[in-house]
Amino acid sequence: MENKTRIAGSSSDLSSSDQSWVLSSLEHDQLARAKKHFIPRRHLKGPELVVLWALRVYLLFMMAVVCYQVWTAAR
Amino acid sequence: MSVGSQPPQTNRIADEVVVITHEDVDRAHDRVRVSAARAQSGFFSGARLLWLLVGPGVLVMLGENDGPSMLSYAATGAKFGIGFFIPFVALTFCMAIVVQEMTVRLGAATHRGHAELIFDRFGPFWGWFSMIDLGIGNFLTLITEFIAIRAGLGFFGVPPWIAILIALVILYAALMSHRYWTWERITLAAAAFNLVFIPVALMTHPSWHAVSHSLITWQPLPGLNKDTLLIVLADIGATVTPWMLFFQQSATVDKGLTTKDIRFGRIDTVLGAALATAAAVATILATAPLFAHQMTADNFQAAEFAQALEPIIGRFGASLFALGMVEAGIVASITISTSSAYAFGEVTHKPHSLNLPMGQGKSFYSVLTLCAAAAAAIVLIPGLPLVYVVLLVNVVAVLAMPPALVFLFMLVNDREIMGDLVSPIWANVLSTGVVFILTAAGVLFGISVIAPNIFAALGGK
Repeated sequence: MENKTRIAGSSSDLSSSDQSWVLSSLEHDQLARAKKHFIPRRHLKGPELVVLWALRVYLLFMMAVVCYQVWTAAR
Repeated sequence: MSVGSQPPQTNRIADEVVVITHEDVDRAHDRVRVSAARAQSGFFSGARLLWLLVGPGVLVMLGENDGPSMLSYAATGAKFGIGFFIPFVALTFCMAIVVQEMTVRLGAATHRGHAELIFDRFGPFWGWFSMIDLGIGNFLTLITEFIAIRAGLGFFGVPPWIAILIALVILYAALMSHRYWTWERITLAAAAFNLVFIPVALMTHPSWHAVSHSLITWQPLPGLNKDTLLIVLADIGATVTPWMLFFQQSATVDKGLTTKDIRFGRIDTVLGAALATAAAVATILATAPLFAHQMTADNFQAAEFAQALEPIIGRFGASLFALGMVEAGIVASITISTSSAYAFGEVTHKPHSLNLPMGQGKSFYSVLTLCAAAAAAIVLIPGLPLVYVVLLVNVVAVLAMPPALVFLFMLVNDREIMGDLVSPIWANVLSTGVVFILTAAGVLFGISVIAPNIFAALGGK
């Protein structure tokens, strides 16, 4: 007789053949539990940091411009 | 550790304990159907494979034809008529294809959402910056979606609170299946209604000679001034925005697409862009008669566009136009609130999938519904300046796009996570071009606000 246990967090049963079916249908890192693992951090290089900071300053400045436009339009 | 109190379903693969969840079982069902279709040959199995794999691309493109976008296109047609903006809008959708294709590859190669990858790869400092950009942008855009719904249903005399209630009920009804596939098909069916702008455009009997002339020559050109730049930015913001990156990558992952499906992911994206371009151009054509009749579009809201068009296309055509605005708002409110919920789940590492039963996806569904409900409530505040807010939301989206694109660019060229699927040189050249165009458009807009006299010196107004 086939061994049956429950799906995590569910009241449904999953037979051992169904377990194999699920695992063979999905790539290993498609499983929900695999997503609990963090992807290794990458250290940003100097030019990358310069670009990211430049764009951050650009965005903040442009948001100020948008606020200014809203203010002038409201007057 | 299992979720809930029941013992987890475990299996041992390569010395690692694997826990199977409800989400995995649902996704496995979807993958089995894809594998079965792929195993067969012939036209019909190819068509079935396409049917099974389309979704995120069409949804993201038609979802971006949202309330503020359709209003931007309507304002474009009413203010500038047939001319420069028809080929320009087609170009912006080409930019959207370049950008969105990268999210398909990224999602299929890593099986991770966009927010999750930024947090893991670049750390929480940069991760939170991108999340703040996304959160603010999504919430402002959601507000404008409910503005469109309220205005569109207002055309039929529906009171604002009932209009908002109808939208929320549809949004929650799509979620009730707790199944990505069903949610996707319901939302796709709703999104198909975006094409209603095409018959509306045909009812205005557009001059096809003028349309083809504008597509070939990009003429007549609009004057270079602050109003034109606002519309230019609003139209760009109507096609490329940060939520699209997050949504399509997360939906690609939730749908379970793998590297074998990338070709269909690309077809899905191009198909979505083609449909969205058709609807966008149709909206410009539909309101172009307002330009020809010298009617001002400065204070038109969604319903007022429909009312203004009624003498030209009749009550039926105007009703279709108003319903199109409602559809645009509803589909976008579904996709945008979903993108917020995906991103929240990804950065907090809580379960985040439309395959989750309510009990396992409490935080996911809570964020999704609370975002939508909060935005809907704000729209019920009387006296909101609607059209200006709507156009500015698109402008803000364009301004937030370059930083988001640089993260995408860095991720999709990261060989450690992408392997051989890193972007080829031509894709990098195109995406760099998109970043420059968006940044330049933002800078021009800034100059037009701070120093409008410069445009006057260049011959503008």
